[in-house]
Parts: sequence; C-alpha cells; structure tokens
Amino acid sequence: MTVWRILTITAFFSAVLPGEIIGEYSIDNRYFFNEATQGQDKSHTSFTLSPELFIEEGERIIHIKPKFRKDNKDAERNLFDIQELYLLEIFEDKEIKLGISKEFWGVTETTHRVDIINQTDTSESFDGEDKLGQPMIKFSYERDWGLLDIYTLIGFRERTFAGQDGRLRFGVITDTDNPLYISSAKNKRVDFAIRWSNYYDNFEVALSHFSGTTREPRYLASEKKLNKLSPLYEVIDQSGLEMQYFFGSLALKGEFISRSGQGDRFTAATYGLEYTQVGILDTRLDLGWIIEANHDDRLVSSPTVLGTRLTLNDISDTQILSGLTYNERSEEIGFLLEATRRLGNCCLVSIEGIYFDDINEDNGERKIFQSFKEDDFLRIEFIYYFGE
Amino acid sequence: MSRSNYFFFKRPIALFILAMTLILSGGISANKGLEIAKLSDKNNDGYGDSSSSMTMQLINRKGDVVERKLAFKRLEVPEDGDKSIAVFESPRDVKGVAILSYAHKVESDDQWLYLPALKRVKRIASKNKSGPFLGSEFSFEDFSFQEVEKYEYTFIGEEVCKDLMCFVIERRPLDPYSGYTKQMVWIDKENYLVQKIYHYDRKSFHLKTQTFEDYRLYKDSYWQPHMVKMINHQNGKSSILMFEDVKLNTGFTDKDFSQNSLRRSR
Repeated sequence: MTVWRILTITAFFSAVLPGEIIGEYSIDNRYFFNEATQGQDKSHTSFTLSPELFIEEGERIIHIKPKFRKDNKDAERNLFDIQELYLLEIFEDKEIKLGISKEFWGVTETTHRVDIINQTDTSESFDGEDKLGQPMIKFSYERDWGLLDIYTLIGFRERTFAGQDGRLRFGVITDTDNPLYISSAKNKRVDFAIRWSNYYDNFEVALSHFSGTTREPRYLASEKKLNKLSPLYEVIDQSGLEMQYFFGSLALKGEFISRSGQGDRFTAATYGLEYTQVGILDTRLDLGWIIEANHDDRLVSSPTVLGTRLTLNDISDTQILSGLTYNERSEEIGFLLEATRRLGNCCLVSIEGIYFDDINEDNGERKIFQSFKEDDFLRIEFIYYFGE
Repeated sequence: MSRSNYFFFKRPIALFILAMTLILSGGISANKGLEIAKLSDKNNDGYGDSSSSMTMQLINRKGDVVERKLAFKRLEVPEDGDKSIAVFESPRDVKGVAILSYAHKVESDDQWLYLPALKRVKRIASKNKSGPFLGSEFSFEDFSFQEVEKYEYTFIGEEVCKDLMCFVIERRPLDPYSGYTKQMVWIDKENYLVQKIYHYDRKSFHLKTQTFEDYRLYKDSYWQPHMVKMINHQNGKSSILMFEDVKLNTGFTDKDFSQNSLRRSR
C-alpha cells in the first residue's frame, strides 16, 4: 500500500466520520553500521500513519485507531493493524469493553514478563513494546478490594518478524505464512485471562492468569519451505505476579511468571529497583537509575540491565535513556541509547542506537545476541501529529 | 569570655524572662498562623466537584511563550484530601497523558501517571513530586491541594499586599519529600484568600514567587483564582496558569476518579 493511498483513505475517513480525527504520521530510518551477514541493505526507511478517532459521550466511549506501515526494503514490515476499535460502556463500579484494544500489564522497565494480552509487533522495534490490537470482551469491576479485569480474547494475532530483506532477525527466516498451532481451532481459539490488582499505601500488587495460545512461540523447521522456521503457537497456562513498593525516591519492582504448555513448566522473573535523583547538582534535571535482573528457567543465564533516565524538564520534554545489558555467562554486552525531544507543538524527534559488544569472542557459551552481531544500528524517527 | 556572654551569664533572671517571652510568643504566633490558615482553607470547601480547562503558559527569559492545555476535574472527599484527574490536551505528543491524584491530609499524596502510547499506568514516587511539572516553573507539589495539616505555621505580621491588607504567615512543609524548606504566605484580611506565596528551596533561598489573581466566588462559599503566576527568580522563567469554564456540581462521583478512569483517557 502506498503512502498516497493511505493518505487518501485518511482523508476519506475524516470526511465521513463524526468527531475530530487526529493522528500521527512518522518517518523513520534505521542505519546499520556493518554489512549484513546475508546481503541485506545497510539502511531502510519506513512510513507510518496512525489516524485516531476518540468519541466520549456521557458514559460511553468509542475509540478507533488503525495503523499503517510501509517499509522500503522489507515487505514483512509492511503492516495494516487495527490498534483500537472498541466501544466502552461505563457503569458505577463496572466497565465493559467490546472490540479491539491494547492492554498493558506489568511494573518493570526493561523486560515485560507478565504482559500477555497483546501480540508483540517485533518487526516494529527491538524493545518489544509495540503491540498489535487484540479483539476482546473485557469486563472490569472496581471495588475497595481492588480492580478485577476479566477478558475473553477472541481470535489470535500472529507475531510479526523481519523478513528476508530485513535485519535484526535470526539467521534462519521465520516462515510467517505457515505458522503451526496446537489447538485445532488454530488462530480462531477463544482465550481467557483474568487480573486482579490493588494498592495498599506504598505497596502495589497484581495477580493474573492467562489460558490460551502463547504470544511467544517456539520454532520448528518449516515443513513447507526449506531453510525456514515455522513459529509454533502452543496452548499455555500462565500465572503472573506483579509487585512494587515505593519508599521516597526508591521503587522496588518485580514480575514473576509460571508457564505450562511449552515443554516443561517453567518460571521466569524480572526484578529490580528504580531510584530517582530529583534536581541533580542543583539543576532542574532528574536522573533515574534502573537496575533489573532476570531469571528464566529455559536459559542457562539471563542478563542484568543497568539503565539511566535523564529528564531535562525543559520546554521540549527532552529525555535521554541509556541501558547497559550484561550477560555474565556469555560475557555479552549490549548498549542502548534513546533520546526524545519535542519540536514546536506539532512534532517529536527520537534517536535510538544499539550496540552489541564482544559477540565474536567464543567462550564456549551460547550467545544470545549471536544473530544480531552485525546489527548495531542508529535509528532516527520524526513524528508529525495532525489534528487538534 | 566575651562581653555579651558575660551579660547573660550575670543575669539569669533576665535570660529566663527573655526565654519565656520567646516561647510564649512563639506559641501564640503558631496558633494564630494556624487559625488564619484554617480560615483561608475554608474558601476551598464546599465545591463538591468541579471541572475546568487549564491553560498553562511557559515564558522563558526572552519572553517567548509556549502553551499547554489540560482538562481538570476534581472531587471533594469529606474527611480526607481531594481526588483529581488532569488530562493533557496539548502539546500533541502528550495528548491523553493523565495524572490521577488522591490527596491526603497528612501523609503523602498518591499519584499515578497514565501513558496512552503504552497503555501503561505508572505510580509517581513521593519524592519525585518536587520536580518541575511539564517543563513549567510549577512543581507537581504546587498542583496538589495545600491541606492545612501538611504544614507547621508561624504568624509573622500584617502587611499591605497589592491594594489589600494581608496577614503574613510562614509555613514549613511536614512532608519530608517536599522541595521547599519554607513558604511565606500572604492572606488578605477581608476574605482570607491566599494572594502571594514565596517559596524557599532546600537551601532556604527565595526561589519562586507565586501570585493568585482574578478570584471568583462560586456557590457563595468557594473561591477559585482564575489566574496563578509563578516566577522563578533563579532562572528568570515564569509560568502562568489560567482556568476557564469552571463548572461546579457537574455530578462526578468516585467512578470518575477510579483507577479505571485513568485508563479511559484515549
């Protein structure tokens, strides 16, 4: 789909729909410093358009937000997704949401263990924070004892992967045309999820359970295409626990899961702390420190991440994030830098860089970043917001 | 031994009388300060619930102005601090970002931030409230409700402020996470409205001056300033907050300030 067709469609929608259409249009370029291992190009550019309609009338909300993405190199990165298309009815202590939406669960900063309602759009970004819309019926009940969310998830969204011409992918291509399902209903299976959360002064807690098709597949050699991997979507049961405790500028956080259905039952966790220094060195700058450790039964060792968040508190809301990830067993180091800044009242610019170190040195351990060893990159994104 | 020490040393009775005078006057001025603060706080009572649109102007040293817009709702909670929710409308990149606050009389307020891009709710740690609010000269703290119980008061005196006669009281925040060591507050004698506040930073330096203008009376009991200015003397910048479309008794209930309500914004 070309950019012009996308713009025509937006213009059409804004003409026929009531309410105010707003949205964002972005262009981003990723530049890789090294030649790719399989002949892919050193840079690619993509355009994203995401118009949005939000109507709030009394106790009813209607929200529509499609997303179009077009990449100039990797066809697997082209996307049409409905991020939001729901009707929300609000009652005194209840809420019902019908339609497609995104829901986030979790408390940690670097890895999201518990978050499971939406599929990850891995081809969009490396951090896994971009999600695909999930059709659902959500019933929410809020009382003194906390907030209870009950989800019926209708149908399944496949994970996105970089294709033949894309980078930041495994050496073997993922065959997204031939996914494998354990459930006979395949991607039509109806899944269930429930989450309770509450807070007691400075302590926040949430318990959740998900029963359905895993969002995180395992991989098998594709039966239909040579040298390709088919994602295997098994049916899992996953229980989650989220906790955080606040003390002054310090937050202690942890997310824990236990999952069955993909081989042996396993547990995984991310836990750590976030400490913020408000007004460092007598300036208006805030500096946040994040340390998070990981555990995963499936892996020999998991990385520890040290992050900083520098907030300038200026008129442009400038923010600079950095992250250093270190895996003790494999002696791998990854470094991430991300800066965002508002331009005028209309726009935002973001710069992201990732550097993988020490990957070529063989110390006898399996390297987690092995597939990405030539994929150090710099990404520049420019977002233009339209409508008021 | 110096002369002055010798003076006190030789006159224990004089010293005793001086000490007692200081203690007693201190007690009286503390009580008077508290009384004035309580009378002033009554002006914030009885609004029930309200909604308004806020425009914030950020002005730099050169005089350049940028604007931010927020929709603001609040609910009076008997016997506790109030609940409020502020939703950003502009600038565009933060449209839909919302802040939910549950104020408390004595203990630190509870605050949560909603980020619509990630659909994520994050709690704001207590101490972080002393930081700037959206790049302005206001801090999160300046936005929370100034509950009487959160300060310790000393009556200083009376003074002309603008064309009014004002009480001057000094208050010290009891919250250990406050960004201020003390504040001097000017309250007019006629309606007990806060007219001016000097904010002193952690080094007791006069950092900011806040002024309140265009007070309007609602329901014969509730006074709302329609313009609040904050001047930062250290960096030469200032911020102006303007309230428009102030509506009372809009029928909000707890559900409009629930954890779920925060997630409803976009």
